[in-house]
Amino acid sequence: MIKLKNVTKTYKRGADDEVVALKDVSLEVGKGEFVFVVGPSGSGKSTFMKLLTREQLPDAGEIYVAGKDLTSLRSWKIPALRREIGYVFQDFKLLPNKSVSENVAFALEVIGKGRREIQRRVPEVLELVGLEDKTGAMPHELSGGQQQRVSIARAFVNNPRILLCDEPTGNLDPSTSVGIMKLLDRINRTGATVVMATHDQHIVDSMRRRVIELENGVVVRDQSRGVYGYAG
Amino acid sequence: MSARWRYIIQESAKGLRRNPLMTVAVILSITVSLTLLGATLLLRDQIDLATDDWVEQVEVSIFLCDGTTCPPITDEQQETLRRDLEDQPVVEEVIYESKEEAYERFSELFKDQPNMLEIVEPDILPASFRVSLVDPDEFLIIRDQFEAYPGVEDIVDQREILTQFLNFTRIVRNGALAIAVIQLAAAALLIGNTILMSAFARREQTAIMKLVGASNWYIRLPFLMEAVITGLLGALVSWGLLYGVVPRVTEGLSQEVLLMPFIGVTEVIAAGPPLLLAGFGIAAISSIVALWFFQDS
Ligand SMILES: Nc1ncnc2c1ncn2[C@@H]1O[C@H](COP(=O)(O)OP(=O)(O)OP(=O)(O)O)[C@@H](O)[C@H]1O
Ligand SMILES: [Mg+2]
Repeated sequence: MIKLKNVTKTYKRGADDEVVALKDVSLEVGKGEFVFVVGPSGSGKSTFMKLLTREQLPDAGEIYVAGKDLTSLRSWKIPALRREIGYVFQDFKLLPNKSVSENVAFALEVIGKGRREIQRRVPEVLELVGLEDKTGAMPHELSGGQQQRVSIARAFVNNPRILLCDEPTGNLDPSTSVGIMKLLDRINRTGATVVMATHDQHIVDSMRRRVIELENGVVVRDQSRGVYGYAG
Repeated sequence: MSARWRYIIQESAKGLRRNPLMTVAVILSITVSLTLLGATLLLRDQIDLATDDWVEQVEVSIFLCDGTTCPPITDEQQETLRRDLEDQPVVEEVIYESKEEAYERFSELFKDQPNMLEIVEPDILPASFRVSLVDPDEFLIIRDQFEAYPGVEDIVDQREILTQFLNFTRIVRNGALAIAVIQLAAAALLIGNTILMSAFARREQTAIMKLVGASNWYIRLPFLMEAVITGLLGALVSWGLLYGVVPRVTEGLSQEVLLMPFIGVTEVIAAGPPLLLAGFGIAAISSIVALWFFQDS
């Protein structure tokens, strides 16, 4: 489902100041896997996610996502790639002037789905995330955990094969985070591959899933039923 | 598909309403530049009309007496005149134009100005010899030699009249064109800037659209539409202005300057499609360039 071969990504800051965000990273994530990407701030977790959605291009190496070679993907084919990927942000990124169901429906409208499919799919996914009684609410009327559920619903409404979550619980308290994790676990069980970048030690330790640890852009650990740190 | 188009139309309407003063400023700026551009188009039509091939070929008109101001020319006098003209070395070609032909040409030239046709009776126009010269500057030789011929009413250097008029018109036209180009550049910058502001105001929505896989044209079309609508509105207003003003001006001029054909409503109407095309083009190009910059940043 996801495959990186010797991927290096550097950011240029000014004339000759460079930051190596990922260095010679090779890894594979199979279909239906649940993977945590952990590591200290600045270790390259978000960069890894952005490479998978083709928001960034690597300087070297090969990346394959959902059967597509991203380094040679023509730019007009990027939308098709992104329709196979759901993306969840730490700060939700909901549109403030749209209601819960409008925010979710928006993701289907702008890729040209028919009205009937939208009317069927939106309530379905809102029920999956447990917000069936909040469909008409505006984002500012929701708690952080509820807003994150809306953003997960939006990411998943198109039935993507891959769900990428960049610190989805970063702004939430521990008990709310547990609820979000249960939801992601449920989505994973429907067959979707889930990749989640996080700082949250408790979550990683309690889920006992595959853990990929980055440090200064290098993979220092790839453990199949891992915990957050070696000491943990 | 209809949901998509409704979205695109809604979004462009939102863009236009977000800052109504700005929208009006953009439309006005397009109007000013396209009015000038339209004026240069019409001046070109006017030049073409006045330099219609026939007029340009003929440099000297020798009008023949028909009994109105002098005794009518006899066939004999006319034959002598033609022979002497043809023998004159500076003359290249001599064409005889009868009264009927003169009226025919006149009607064709002034077909848009019925009032001219009304005041000119078919037999009022004199017959003439239309003479082209080897060297157009030799007009004086012709006048001195043939002025006193019996049956000659008047000798006119058409080229002189024409060149004066054309020089003046070309100067006006080039000036208008230069200002139109500068104004168009200003309008293009204003459109580009407005679209950038519009795109910036909706950057979050655009970012989400990109991430859920909306196609590029779908993301950009509302902004493009917004610009194109202002461009077309500006073009329509400028067309309306020209329609209201130009026929009045040329009608007034035709009362003053007799025997010169002027453009009228037909030409102004014909200038519409190019103006709309220009409004569309300038809006589309400047907004595409602006969005291209926006995406790079
Ligand atoms: N757009 C950018 N331009 C320049 N440098 C960048 C850019 N994005 C990230 N970086 C740098 O690349 C490195 C890796 O950043 P990245 O965002 O991938 O880290 P992270 O692991 O997600 O960190 P955090 O846990 O704080 O979110 C950092 O040093 C960061 O400063
Ligand atoms: Mg990050």
